[in-house]
Amino acid sequence: MISHLLGSYLVKEGKLTEAQLETVYETMRKVRVKLGLIAVSERLMTVEQSDEINRLQAIMDKRFGDIAVEKGYLTDEQVTRLLGLQGNQYLSFVQAVVDNDFLSVEEVTLALNDYQKANGFTLTDVEALKSGESDRIVPLFLPQNITEYQSEHILMAIRTLIRLIDSEIYVEKGIISDYLELDYFALQSLDGDNKATLAISGEGKNILPLASAFAGEDFDNVDADSLDSVCEFINCVNGMFATKVNQSFSTDMLPPEYSDKAVKFTGKMLVLPVFVKGSKINLVSTFGDFINK
Amino acid sequence: MSRILIVDDSRTSRKILRGLLEEAGHEVIAEAENGEEGVNKYIELKPDVTTLDITMPVMDGLEALVKIREFDNKAKVIMVTAAGQQNKMVEAIKNGASEFVTKPFEKENILKIIEKM
Repeated sequence: MISHLLGSYLVKEGKLTEAQLETVYETMRKVRVKLGLIAVSERLMTVEQSDEINRLQAIMDKRFGDIAVEKGYLTDEQVTRLLGLQGNQYLSFVQAVVDNDFLSVEEVTLALNDYQKANGFTLTDVEALKSGESDRIVPLFLPQNITEYQSEHILMAIRTLIRLIDSEIYVEKGIISDYLELDYFALQSLDGDNKATLAISGEGKNILPLASAFAGEDFDNVDADSLDSVCEFINCVNGMFATKVNQSFSTDMLPPEYSDKAVKFTGKMLVLPVFVKGSKINLVSTFGDFINK
Repeated sequence: MSRILIVDDSRTSRKILRGLLEEAGHEVIAEAENGEEGVNKYIELKPDVTTLDITMPVMDGLEALVKIREFDNKAKVIMVTAAGQQNKMVEAIKNGASEFVTKPFEKENILKIIEKM
């Protein structure tokens, strides 16, 4: 995520061109190896065990290493070593920029300082950004006045996007809004002790990369089929969220809903812009009440 | 090979499930978009196995399960749900559900369950 946040900033500031940034990402993709592959090549796991964990990741809100430890395939120490071999995303980004002779290390470091100031981030925030961990990065982009549960709901959606749809997603600053005009939406509400809604919308055809990746088929239009796919994605997120909060309060998942017509939402909503496969969508969430349509 | 009825309000889920089952050599004899339609299709077609989504409009999977089991108390029904529906799973077990699968679908798991039935 940091590579896309800082990369976009460098383009905006005229330090890199769009084409150069894409070259940087291509370089990073070539060298970034999945943890499972490293574990297999290090002879710590079999291909079958790695494949099993990849399948489990589709239905569990857990990282590859965490599942591997739970299953007894790896120890915590081995996971730490493998993560070290896999490399830090920020450092990989810097290396790719420098190796392509686009900028020097000093120039990237200065740009990171400017990015920090421009966004009002603290040094601790920058450390979180450089960690590459979505659970540490995304909260920096969430408004302060949301509940722990609403934050967890959004983080669950982000983690699921990363696992199932696009490992290179990134976010913009989220806002609290009490009125939204949308071209279309897909949503599902949770009833029970704490009402909540998670909706996904976008402009134009921006939700199609998500819809297509989840369903495993190419959609050309925002219609009942593509919105149904987004609903099913939300259903998976909500299911895992309900499992997580189940010990604290009861939830009942209501049938998903969608509309390909323009609609207005009201009520106190958290709106978080997320770039999925380069297309900007909005995660819209409420906690304590449903979204009003 | 089993003759299977898929009951799910999501076209995406029906399509993914149909693909997995047909690839493994099973015959999907019909699909239904809600519990009411599913019960009617069950009575009409008597499938070997029925997959039943829990959260659906018109008639949910739990109610449909009860009606199917009233018609045929040996009906083999696999409940399909996203995670986080433990209370409903317990209710479905009490009402005679044979098995559960969780969305998103895990191919090997589904096929193993159907083979077992």
